[in-house]
Amino acid sequence: MRKINIRKRLSKLPLLFVLTVAALVWLLPMYTMVANSLKTAREISRAQYYLPPRGLELQNYVTAFSILQQGLLNSLLVSLPTTLIAVFLGSWAGFFLSRMRFKYSQTIFFATTIATFLPYQVVLFPLTKLLVTLHVINTRPGLILAYLILNTPMAMLITATFFEMIPVELQEAAGLDGCGPITFYWRILLPVGRLAIISTAILIFTFVWNDFLIAMAMTQGPLAQMATPVLAGLKGNYAQVWHIQMAGAMITSVPPLLIFIFLGRYFVSGLMAGTLKG
Amino acid sequence: MRPIPDMSYNRLHILLFLAPIFIIVLLLYGMIAWTMAVSMDNWVGMAPVWKFNGLQNYVTLFRMERFWGSLRNNLTWMVAFIIPSAMLGLVLAYGLVLSGRAESLFRPLFLYPLALSFVVTGTLWAWMYDPEAGVINNILKSIGLGSLSQPWIASPRQATFCLIGAAIWQYTGFAMTLYLAAIRDIPGEIFEAAKVDGASDMQIFRHVVVPNVTQATMVTIAMMTIFSLKVFDLVWVITFGGPGTSTEVLGFFMFVATYRQQFVGLGAAISVIILILAAAVVVPYAWWSMKKLQT
Repeated sequence: MRKINIRKRLSKLPLLFVLTVAALVWLLPMYTMVANSLKTAREISRAQYYLPPRGLELQNYVTAFSILQQGLLNSLLVSLPTTLIAVFLGSWAGFFLSRMRFKYSQTIFFATTIATFLPYQVVLFPLTKLLVTLHVINTRPGLILAYLILNTPMAMLITATFFEMIPVELQEAAGLDGCGPITFYWRILLPVGRLAIISTAILIFTFVWNDFLIAMAMTQGPLAQMATPVLAGLKGNYAQVWHIQMAGAMITSVPPLLIFIFLGRYFVSGLMAGTLKG
Repeated sequence: MRPIPDMSYNRLHILLFLAPIFIIVLLLYGMIAWTMAVSMDNWVGMAPVWKFNGLQNYVTLFRMERFWGSLRNNLTWMVAFIIPSAMLGLVLAYGLVLSGRAESLFRPLFLYPLALSFVVTGTLWAWMYDPEAGVINNILKSIGLGSLSQPWIASPRQATFCLIGAAIWQYTGFAMTLYLAAIRDIPGEIFEAAKVDGASDMQIFRHVVVPNVTQATMVTIAMMTIFSLKVFDLVWVITFGGPGTSTEVLGFFMFVATYRQQFVGLGAAISVIILILAAAVVVPYAWWSMKKLQT
């Protein structure tokens, strides 16, 4: 028995080797970004990008941060409220749609799915005009409004997909005890469905933080500009200054990477629910 | 269909729970209609110009080489992005399943790019692909393979494929995750039976795994088709549509036409083309997921 086990393990070696090589290829860009973000201008000029840095040139990060500062703050002040409101409104509707059956629930689900998955470009210009009309163009509240319109339907679909899995018995028991939908949502669904809520929140936050198109179309100049357009601008203003660019890219990636590292499980389950495969 | 759970609610509840989402979705459809209306107007400049000119914008568009080039690039994206990422994702997923406990170590290494912004990916890969000071050519030279170095994004022929390469790097993990879940859903008995019959891992892959993950394949292809139709950020950051207009895609062309050149009517017409192409995927997909959710 033991012998077979060892042979079985040995037979896995070629597979593990191939996986390791593939993983190294996948890590190479990340390695390049981290390693070179810590090099001095002189080291960069030697063009030996594959070498690890000699020291830790944290000055690059200071430089990049001072440029990105306002953008990062804007991104945070836009992403957080958007996430909170979108997840609340989305789960509020997602709960009703997935747990209560009434005549038009399928129609609403169908119409919302279409609106969610159509490319942003289809509504980009009217959205711009809407913000202009409301006098919130090029402001953080304007960005929040734009992202809410685009992400709340998505939040509803994801939470609805999750809530489908909550056992019917729970709801029946609550119903027999005279619990109405509103109490059920606050008292039972939110605690029982925390996985759904956290996953959806993480996904929406990452979407908004990482978005570029809306941020580009709705803002101009540094006042309300989010981190992504500032980073794209950094690439233009610091052409060929790779170490600063890489430090800037690293800083911009901190929130989503932290989420991925510490809350990866939720990130993945949200992503899967986001395809509505159920 | 499941029995309807017993929790009493009335019309007021429907209104209370669904009014916000109803308003938002209605607004989105209104904006789509608005885009369609503008696409039939001769609107130039940022101030509204409601001058109806029928299908003139579309005629203009169809006469532009730039439009066909963008559309061609979107189609190239669909083929050259979706097929490799889906296939690689499936192979990796199966490899991870076979690797046993090592899976939890490897999985995040293929998945982490998905958490990054396209602007970060773009900044990074623009440097990877730089013809003179780029990382890829630099590494090739330093290991004595300098003859293999390429102009990459400086070449109109290669540039779109370079962009696609960055997207494959970022999205393979997405396909992999979908396939991992799908492989897990295959009943264990089927694997056992195949093993008892003496099937090798390769044979199991071909005859058990591949035929049983068609649903994941459908989801992957649908999601990646939508992605291929709306791609914008990578093009903007890495090549800005260049060299020339060789890497422009519809989403990029729409943005430049509307916001930079202020041909708003023309930009709306491009949006409508994107809408039609996307609807061909999104509408059946929405139908399918609606049916799935309610049964």
